[in-house]
Amino acid sequence: MDFLVNWVSNIPGFAVPFALAALGLILTEKSGVLSLGAEGFMLMGAMAGVGAVIVTGEPLLALVIAALATAVISLVFAALVVTLRVNQVIAGLAMVFLCQGLTSLIASLQGWSSVAIVGLADLPIPGLADIPLVGPILFQQDIVVYLTVPIFFAVQWFLQRTEVGLRLRAVGENPEAADSAGVNVALYRTGAIMAGAALVGLAGGYLSVAVAKIWVDGMAGGRGWIAIALVIFARWHPWRALLGAILFGGIEALIPRIAAVGIQVPQYFMLMTPYIATLLVMIWAAFRGSMRLDEPGALGRPHVREERR
Amino acid sequence: MVGVSDHSPANPAATEAPPRRSFGRFNLEIRQHISPLRQTLVLLAGLAVGLVATAIVLMAAGVTLRGIYEEFILSIFSSSMSVSAVLVQTAPLLVVGLSAVVAFRVRFWNIGIEGQMIFGSIFATFIAIHNIGPESLRLPIMFAAAAVGGMLWILIPAFLKLRLGINEIISTLLLNYVAFNFLLYLLYGPWKDPVSAFPHSEQYELVERLPALGWANLTWALPLALILAVVIWWLLNVSRFGFYARFVDSNPKMAAAVGVPIAFVTLASALLSGAISGVGGFVVSAGIEGRMTQSFFLGYTFSGILIAFLARNNPLIAILVAAFVGVLFVAGQSLQVFYQIPGAMVQLIQAIIVIAVAASEFFIRYRVHRVRGAG
Repeated sequence: MDFLVNWVSNIPGFAVPFALAALGLILTEKSGVLSLGAEGFMLMGAMAGVGAVIVTGEPLLALVIAALATAVISLVFAALVVTLRVNQVIAGLAMVFLCQGLTSLIASLQGWSSVAIVGLADLPIPGLADIPLVGPILFQQDIVVYLTVPIFFAVQWFLQRTEVGLRLRAVGENPEAADSAGVNVALYRTGAIMAGAALVGLAGGYLSVAVAKIWVDGMAGGRGWIAIALVIFARWHPWRALLGAILFGGIEALIPRIAAVGIQVPQYFMLMTPYIATLLVMIWAAFRGSMRLDEPGALGRPHVREERR
Repeated sequence: MVGVSDHSPANPAATEAPPRRSFGRFNLEIRQHISPLRQTLVLLAGLAVGLVATAIVLMAAGVTLRGIYEEFILSIFSSSMSVSAVLVQTAPLLVVGLSAVVAFRVRFWNIGIEGQMIFGSIFATFIAIHNIGPESLRLPIMFAAAAVGGMLWILIPAFLKLRLGINEIISTLLLNYVAFNFLLYLLYGPWKDPVSAFPHSEQYELVERLPALGWANLTWALPLALILAVVIWWLLNVSRFGFYARFVDSNPKMAAAVGVPIAFVTLASALLSGAISGVGGFVVSAGIEGRMTQSFFLGYTFSGILIAFLARNNPLIAILVAAFVGVLFVAGQSLQVFYQIPGAMVQLIQAIIVIAVAASEFFIRYRVHRVRGAG
């Protein structure tokens, strides 16, 4: 029982980076931009977050800076895919490698690498936190965990219930039609890229500031790619992405605990599980039928008004 | 970033819905034709912009202009030592570049080059550790084993793509992490060096290493890579298979209609790409390091993509680009020693160059017109 409570109460912390990153990706991809740069954006957020904690000493401010820094670097991506219509696969991969190089370079020039920081503290909710079982699982988390569900509600409401959200989805489904209806395709796509990147950066910042409390090169460890897979699995639905994130948070939270209870599995095989699980989830999703129906219609396709289709 | 600022605020309709100009005062004209010379010039201009941006980043990191000249040009081409260092580095770079070329020709995004290199090296190392086959045939067996290892590792994502339509970008990439953890398991476990107890494999015997060429520290790795480049060029540009592959790339629907075996061509190209990456692992382990280390593959995925991209998927141009990236690698190492610039700089430079060249393609595809007085 202790094992179970201990495990489950650790899931939210591991699930939040997946959840926020997947949500950011959904926001961007709803505008028709394929965002393969997530791994890089997460690294940018993680590095900026740790740097900001070291400079300011304020973990909460650091998370905001992580999101902003990532939104700024995503302007490079926006310039490439929106203005210059570069192949979105090439541009996304280039962003991953740009951010890998940049974060590792900045961190080592600034001396931020492998420095333990005072991370984000837990914020137990008075009264509720002491309830047995439920307390530690739901009410002894940090503020980002509490805010994740409202953020999901906000994004879902924005996409489905506001006019701007409707236009954004129109741009992702059929940019030509949106364009002729007077929607500024470039502006909407740029906005979607920046807002999505900010969420992915927040996910990265949370990873370094709240979970790991340290920066090491490449610390996103494929989580950005897993988030991309989660979005496909969730078929661009925020709530399904949240479910997927909890599943992967559960797997990640389990890994350090398996060894602790004395089950003998070589650690390197344990460390493979998130990646293998991602593949299995994608296979499962593929068996459920074609993705094409739920995918934004113009995903990955640049909009050039002068081009006849 | 979009110039919609010039419409008159007096027009209420304009504030409600911006006029139909999503890129402001510029109109794009799609070029129907561009001469190869002009195309090359535009790409070279893009490359030049990338190199200038690189110089700026290096200067921001504390290297003087003179230092850049010395590290990237003077010291590379002034001593046979550094020329050979570049050529040694060129061999595996060319091999992974060819792997990317073969896959990208059929639009199979193989981002799993590092994982396939790992399995190539694991298979070759297995042969070396267990001394399989007569000594005179040991290297060819290791070569073949490496190709099989890389091929098996790409078989999973290739199958998943063709059968279930699963995006190969994600599946090949995820398998890199799986392969890496398996490599660590071997190197910290059963294959730990029995001599030094360090986490790398035991040293290959002499017959298991690619022989020296007799000049500087070059081995047969480079000629092997060059032969491979010519073979791949023949396969893609001369043979029937290459014709099919080009057909699949340029017009899959038409290719299917006239009976080109698309699934077979895609699968064969993907498997070949994996096999070549596996050979890349063999080239590093048996041609350079003489054993399997835990980081021998690092950075090769992106370099392979970069080489294929800059070479426009042409195996022969890939030779030049691989040598160019080799210069970057060697200069990066000396920047690390003399200026304490982290190794990540090389990765950053490669990303900057890809971005600059990719951006320059815009000017190949479109002609930009400035529209005066619009709004």
